[in-house]
Amino acid sequence: MNKLKPKLFRINTGSCNGCDVEFLATALVDKFQFHKLEVEIAEEISQANLLVITGPLTARSEPFLKSYINKLSEPYVVVGIGTCSITSGIFRDSYAINGPTDKVIDVDINISGCPPRPQSIAEGIAKGVAILNQKVQNVNISKQMDTILQGFEAPKSFRGKINLHANLCTACRTCETVCPSGAINITKIGDKYEHKVWHNTCCFCGNCVFFCPTGAIYNTNDFDTAKHQDEKYSDTNISYIKTDNCSSCNKRYKKPTTGLLKKAYINDDINKLNNNLCPECRKKENFTRMYL
Amino acid sequence: MGKTIKIGPFHPELEESVYFKLVADKNSIVQEVEIVNGFIHRGMESLVTNRNFMQNLILTERVCSLCSNNHPFTFVMAVEKIANIKVPSRAEALRVVADEIKRAASNLFNLAMLSHLTHSYELMKDTLETREYLQDLKETIWGNRMDMSVNLFTGVKYDLDAKKVVHILEKLNLAIPKIKELQKRFENDEIIKQRCVGVGILPTEKALEIGVTGPVARGSGINNDVRVKAPYSLYALRPELQPRTKPRNGCDVLSRAMARFDDIIEAVRIIKDLLSDLPRGKTYLEKRPHIPEGEAVVRTEAPRGELIYYLKTDGSQKPIRMRWKVPTYTNWEALKVMILGDKVENVTIILNSIDPCISCTER
Repeated sequence: MNKLKPKLFRINTGSCNGCDVEFLATALVDKFQFHKLEVEIAEEISQANLLVITGPLTARSEPFLKSYINKLSEPYVVVGIGTCSITSGIFRDSYAINGPTDKVIDVDINISGCPPRPQSIAEGIAKGVAILNQKVQNVNISKQMDTILQGFEAPKSFRGKINLHANLCTACRTCETVCPSGAINITKIGDKYEHKVWHNTCCFCGNCVFFCPTGAIYNTNDFDTAKHQDEKYSDTNISYIKTDNCSSCNKRYKKPTTGLLKKAYINDDINKLNNNLCPECRKKENFTRMYL
Repeated sequence: MGKTIKIGPFHPELEESVYFKLVADKNSIVQEVEIVNGFIHRGMESLVTNRNFMQNLILTERVCSLCSNNHPFTFVMAVEKIANIKVPSRAEALRVVADEIKRAASNLFNLAMLSHLTHSYELMKDTLETREYLQDLKETIWGNRMDMSVNLFTGVKYDLDAKKVVHILEKLNLAIPKIKELQKRFENDEIIKQRCVGVGILPTEKALEIGVTGPVARGSGINNDVRVKAPYSLYALRPELQPRTKPRNGCDVLSRAMARFDDIIEAVRIIKDLLSDLPRGKTYLEKRPHIPEGEAVVRTEAPRGELIYYLKTDGSQKPIRMRWKVPTYTNWEALKVMILGDKVENVTIILNSIDPCISCTER
């Protein structure tokens, strides 16, 4: 069995520092198990076979990145660290961004996060090394990869992947409005609302969680973000928000959740509210009750 | 005849992308220096005008992840100045706690990089291990190791209960002796002395002429800390919190490193003082206040020096203009003074000594 010594070269294509700083912390602090991977830092790009790319790929660094890639020799593996390198993340709509990275070079592993935890970075590099060995041995690359490094935990308060309590959500689109990187999308499909969070463009800032009026959206402490490139578009969290039939006109409508009603009617018993009516029927009903 | 040397744009010793063209003589003394930049330009000024204020809370944080609390801090202060909002004193205190933790962690990272560049392996490992106390703290209290997402118009997003306060104090008490020990080691380490004393000289007159700020100024005998000269937030309300650092007079790389240590020790002192007597009350007034038409300029002290924000609004949901003046912008000019006449092998150490934040400067 021939093995190749992994030699790593890091390229910053316009990152905000976060990923680079955390990468260095990963590489130099023992508790992140990076030393187990026996990765060497290459002095020159021509010696490298493990390319680590951070940043959203600015227009200025694109030609330089291309010229550096030309100096690489096969086989090599590309690992993208941070949301920016996967989808350009928060900077996507800017005139100065030519990214994401996979427009220029075939990426193998993506590590989402803003910045990712060092534990995720170490895991991503470990997966990169595994793919490199597969490439050397010329075996087919498996798309599904098990977790390689064990024993990592996150504190409960860690802001990880977003999830949704669909029964609390009223599809008010506050999360969509405050999300700086456009990771959240609510669309009406048939008689349901689809609430979609794309983890690979999410910047894990927790803005949606803070501004959500009903506490429906929340951060889990899941930091398993080192994924194969094939999962780039499928690594999402999809929830469906149900609508109900109006008891009077039988039209489909989104019923306000108990959480929202409790906020609006602080002193009233919300169980006594006439809450099986769509907004139009409720207006009619209330007008009749109060004035006729 | 001079020899032309190119460093960058992507280089293992450069944390961020920058391109140096140096001309050196026979003895490897730098005769000419040209710095090519623009690699990190992401069009921030255009981006912020296309996002609403809530999105900009996070976008300003991503200007630079090392001073990622100071940017939104200054941004919300500018917004509050326009909207004439008075922030609850508990919120002010919580903002300062977050700010000082970031300051300490950012400076420790720079010092770790310095020991990395001088190949003092043990020292670098210990500095990073010490930084991990603060990183763990940020992760357990705020949920992320770099971007804490603390600031909000009219207040802050997080709160500290008694348990969390105890946790922070415990971690800091573990870190303080380590930081003090590190400072002694940096001061007395033979390799550090060899590589840093008398290297990258920035005389006081030159520093004044260029207008350097932050630890770079404090390393050249000038203390122009905004927290003292033009106090803002809680530093204005409680002057006893202001840092009591004395400037260092060495004007070289080691003095700047020592100025950073002084900053770290003062930052920890400020956090401890604040936590022992945290004001009670609300942490914010309202989540989404109306922001009227107006203009504001605000300045604060970031880990690297003076940060200025200019903001113009027109009463809509988006700012119509936002401008920054970041600390590295002035400190960068000092590089030319420091590098000229020094050895080629010292260039990366000198660059690191201004703690350049290129992502702030090029935005």
